[in-house]
Amino acid sequence: MKTENCFAAPPLAEGAAAQPSSADRTARGASKYLAGLPSRGLFSSAVLSSNPGGIRVYVCDHETAPPEGQVIKTNSTNILIRALQINKQKSDAKDVIAKSAADSSTVKRSAVRTSERRSPPKKMKTSSASTSHRGSCSSELSEKKLQTMTVERLRALLKERGLSPKGKKDELIARLKDEA
Amino acid sequence: MSVWNYVVTAHKPTNVTHSCVGNFTSPQELNLIIAKCTRIEIHLLTPHGLQPMLDVPIYGRIATLELFRPHGEPQDFLFIATERYKFCVLQWDAETSELITRAMGDVSDRIGRPTDNGQIGLIDPDCRLIGLHLYDGLFKVIPFDNKGQLKEAFNIRLEELQVLDIKFLYGCLKPTIVVLYQDNKDARHAKTYEIALKDKDFVEGPLSHTNLDNGAGILIPVPMPLGGVIIIGEETIVYCSVSAFKAIPIRPSITRAYGRVDADGSRYLLGDNAGLLHLLVITHERERVTGLKIEHLGETSVASTISYLDNAVVYIGSSYGDSQLIKLNLQPDAKGSYVEVLEKYVNLGPIVDFCVVDLERQGQGQVVTCSGAYKDGSLRIVRNGIGINEQASVELQGIKGLWSLRSSTNDPYDTFLVVSFINETRVLAMNMDDELEESEIEGFCAEAQTLFCQNAIHDQLVQVTANSVRLVSSTTRELLHEWNAPSGYSVNVATANASQVLLATGGGHLVYLEIGNGKLAEVKHVQLDYEISCLDINPSGENPNYSTLAAVGMWTDISVRIFSLPSLELLAKENLGGEIIPRSVLLCTFEGVSYLLCTLGDGHLLNFLLNLSTGELSNRKKVSLGTQPIMLRTFSSKDTTHVFAASDRPTVIYSSNKKLLYSNVNLKEVSHMCPFNSAAFPDSLAIAKEGELSIGTIDDIQKLHIRTIPLGEHARRICHQEQSRTFAICSLKNCQTSNEETEMHFVRLLDDQTFEFISTYPLDTYEYGCSIISCSFSDDNNAYYCVGTAYVLPEENEPSKGRILVFVVEDGKLQLIAEKETKGAVYSLNAFNGKLLAAINQKIQLYKWMLREDGSRELQAECGHHGHILALYVQTRGDFIVVGDLMKSISLLLYKHEEGAIEELARDYNANWMSAVEILDDDVFLGAENNYNLFTVRKNSDAATDEERGRLEVVGEYHLGEFVNRFRHGSLVMRLPDLEAGHIPTVIFGTINGVIGVVASLPHDQYVFLEKLQANLVKVIKGVGGLSHEQWRSFNNEKKTVDARNFLDGDLIESFLDLSRSRMDEIASSMGVPLEELCKRVEELTRLH
Repeated sequence: MKTENCFAAPPLAEGAAAQPSSADRTARGASKYLAGLPSRGLFSSAVLSSNPGGIRVYVCDHETAPPEGQVIKTNSTNILIRALQINKQKSDAKDVIAKSAADSSTVKRSAVRTSERRSPPKKMKTSSASTSHRGSCSSELSEKKLQTMTVERLRALLKERGLSPKGKKDELIARLKDEA
Repeated sequence: MSVWNYVVTAHKPTNVTHSCVGNFTSPQELNLIIAKCTRIEIHLLTPHGLQPMLDVPIYGRIATLELFRPHGEPQDFLFIATERYKFCVLQWDAETSELITRAMGDVSDRIGRPTDNGQIGLIDPDCRLIGLHLYDGLFKVIPFDNKGQLKEAFNIRLEELQVLDIKFLYGCLKPTIVVLYQDNKDARHAKTYEIALKDKDFVEGPLSHTNLDNGAGILIPVPMPLGGVIIIGEETIVYCSVSAFKAIPIRPSITRAYGRVDADGSRYLLGDNAGLLHLLVITHERERVTGLKIEHLGETSVASTISYLDNAVVYIGSSYGDSQLIKLNLQPDAKGSYVEVLEKYVNLGPIVDFCVVDLERQGQGQVVTCSGAYKDGSLRIVRNGIGINEQASVELQGIKGLWSLRSSTNDPYDTFLVVSFINETRVLAMNMDDELEESEIEGFCAEAQTLFCQNAIHDQLVQVTANSVRLVSSTTRELLHEWNAPSGYSVNVATANASQVLLATGGGHLVYLEIGNGKLAEVKHVQLDYEISCLDINPSGENPNYSTLAAVGMWTDISVRIFSLPSLELLAKENLGGEIIPRSVLLCTFEGVSYLLCTLGDGHLLNFLLNLSTGELSNRKKVSLGTQPIMLRTFSSKDTTHVFAASDRPTVIYSSNKKLLYSNVNLKEVSHMCPFNSAAFPDSLAIAKEGELSIGTIDDIQKLHIRTIPLGEHARRICHQEQSRTFAICSLKNCQTSNEETEMHFVRLLDDQTFEFISTYPLDTYEYGCSIISCSFSDDNNAYYCVGTAYVLPEENEPSKGRILVFVVEDGKLQLIAEKETKGAVYSLNAFNGKLLAAINQKIQLYKWMLREDGSRELQAECGHHGHILALYVQTRGDFIVVGDLMKSISLLLYKHEEGAIEELARDYNANWMSAVEILDDDVFLGAENNYNLFTVRKNSDAATDEERGRLEVVGEYHLGEFVNRFRHGSLVMRLPDLEAGHIPTVIFGTINGVIGVVASLPHDQYVFLEKLQANLVKVIKGVGGLSHEQWRSFNNEKKTVDARNFLDGDLIESFLDLSRSRMDEIASSMGVPLEELCKRVEELTRLH
């Protein structure tokens, strides 16, 4: 296919300058911008033929079912439930990372689940930045949220911050809050 | 009519809603793809222009049409989403020339409110996902995997509820949409979201812009390297990207469509609702945007879609006028316009109203539509069949034959017209003044009937009479040689071409002569068993002067035989069956396919495929063209050969897509025809009619003919008045006065031949013409035009005042005779028992035509009926009144003469929002509603209980997929009483997309037969993109979806004739019906439109 520009710009007519000024200005304006319209050599014939004959009507007598797996349906899970599931998956993944990173094997799964469910999904975007993320995350934790956590979970959080994991639950929460 | 209805399209949709350009049919080919609501058209761009390739029916109303190219694919795929929440991805297979379904699916949700501003579909420029906005507050994503396969779709919650437009931004790491929306204070804003595919959620994007132009409606994403988005408003255009923000004011206009010119996105074409075309330019230095410029280019049809094709040629698709192919010239023309219209594509949409008339009084209906809107409003005269534009005629009685002759073999024009009578032959010739006058060819025998004559080789003419064959020099016009029939025999039929003569004498003798230079040589003579009724040796092989085959029709055994020439050996014999002798045979070739056509004395035509080398006949088909014997003759129009069948119902036989088509000619009865291409009458035909010989040109050979009468204003109602031979229309004109746009409404009178405005009655300010009829009243013979109007005041929700105006046409002027004020809009008027029945807002009101004491007339209210929401459409039959309500479906009323009251008899209790109603017969009524469905209801007068009698039973339901604005009884075709189709009553409808369709009521047995055929066809003819026919035709509205019943899809049934022979056989055998009969029955149906 030809790619060069077949549009030959005719030189500006002399007469154009003699036209009334306002029309002249717009005329020259548009002309300026109409130069160099894209062309691939189509519609280049001097005489463009009009439709020769009618258009063929398509009669589809072959199988039109799509290939396997390409009948697309919409995921019917409720958006809220889906968001929760995604968060859970992520927190699970994060949990694995957290486990290996902090070696907090004592953390119970159930505890993790509770904590993650309550943290806003937005904050759970990337699992790679888990540590720093979690730090900022927990720093925002209110007392109410901390109250719902298990002691083990609180201890894990304290450990992360390099604080003493000892004492009663209330003490642990107080220590975390002071840190925040 | 009946409850068993057959719905078929006579004129396909022409409203162009979408268009796009890409490499669809091959990596090297550039295509323009156009969506016309329920069809797509694929065109090829060539150096010589736009070449149509394929017209594809889609089982759905197209909501989105996009081309895209998945990674690693050499050519583009086509994404189509339909309004009923189906989508498909199509790929073109160049090898088989078929459309392959790559993917399809259902994207509907169980809950969700459909968007008010239309469905939006968009494809990520980097092909990572398809986005759909179908329900308020939801954005659906269909992701691609890395192999380009589609994966399960999911929804994302979109906070913005009133979305106006959504587009993908270019050059974003993550797929990013920009959303133009309106908040609940009606302010408009734009906002971007990144789509996090993993999280299936939105993340705030890089751009947002609040408080845009109040009329902002279109987003244009700008490709890289500039990036960003253009927001088109009514008064400003804004460009914004991460780094730049530019805005320019524009003259107030509503932009409807845009088209990108350059691949880098620096120039765009904008089309507004006044049809003005502008060029929008992003000025930039390298990748830094410096500003926006807008330049006026000129005027086009009001564009609904703009596609820049190539080399300054642009396709303008329009919903309100003809679509156009335009060229952008570098220099303005005298009017300052840069736009040059190269081609116009007829668009009838939107058909707001129409009427069926028989202007030529030939017993054939023509449809006159109110088409187009705004400045592109027009009247269109749509008629079936081919017109002859008569240019000259002479009275001549008793013509028995007609031939044209050239004065020499190489003369391009015909000079002589040989007219044969019972006992004489006359020659007419063009004289110096281009008049046809009686002339003479000395060598011809003028005292006998000519059986055939023909220009022969070596500048000779041949004349065959009952006694002899005469060879005459065309230069000296003297007799060169004569062959005499054997004594005791006379020539009965004869035919000839440039070098051969074949004739038959009594006793079944068949004589073959060859024409030499100055000599006729008898080459062969055979005697057949029976008398010969007709002959033909029209050369259909390679040599245009010589035929190797002869076709012979026989008496007694009713057969047609193929002989070889010159040996006169019998090659094939086909018994025609029946007792009607063949009257004319013709060998001819259409589109490279050879046929033998044979007509019978009773108006039937048989066609066979002819094998030129073996003479074998196959693929027999039979159609009925009329009731009288048919004479066949070939002629050329626009370098294509067609066959003219002269009979009581003259027909042109032509071929399209290698299929023979029959188009009737709009003439009453033609006994003979010959082409007559003279210098004064180029490309003309000489036609012998009853007592008359006329010369005229023939229209383009196509089925429907459309004549356009541009009005420059929007016609909304039309009716015809036989007595005054006029049309009256209600129209509105948009007037632009400095800053204000005002509407003016008129009642206009048009001549029904010239279609010129002959009189105008301007309506008051704010007064709309709502209805118009032509009627007369009891004890008054005058024909009146009655016009119903409404005062549409800006502060009122529903008009509370209107008028009924009664006009009479006097001396070509509209004279107001009476006027009556009403308490609402007069939506409908009907002539009813010599009175006037008006639908005024929620009321049906009957008016009497009273004579006052002073001799003047007035309308006087007689009685009425309340209880409608808005009575929009009213039809009457006898004393029955059928009302189509805004939202309460159909109800049936009865006028009681004695009591002078109108009472409701029954109603349909469904909540259908009606768009048109019509009465099919005493018991069955047809309705169209605003979800594009048709339905029929039946009166239950025999039911046992009052409750049942008061209910109109829904008996038929069907999804038409078209918004019907009007039904009218009538037909587009000439009705012949002998044809089976002649007894089928029909209703014509007109739609917004420019469809003219036919609803035909079938007898029950035929319905059952066709229903079976349809069921078989569905198994063979598949929906493009895997879309289901059953689902497409199922009645569907917000409340219910039920399978179609008591309606048949005529478009599907008639596509049977487009199938390959083997597929047809397959269906015929599964139906248990002979193929010939099946073809005949379907072909008969095609004669309904």
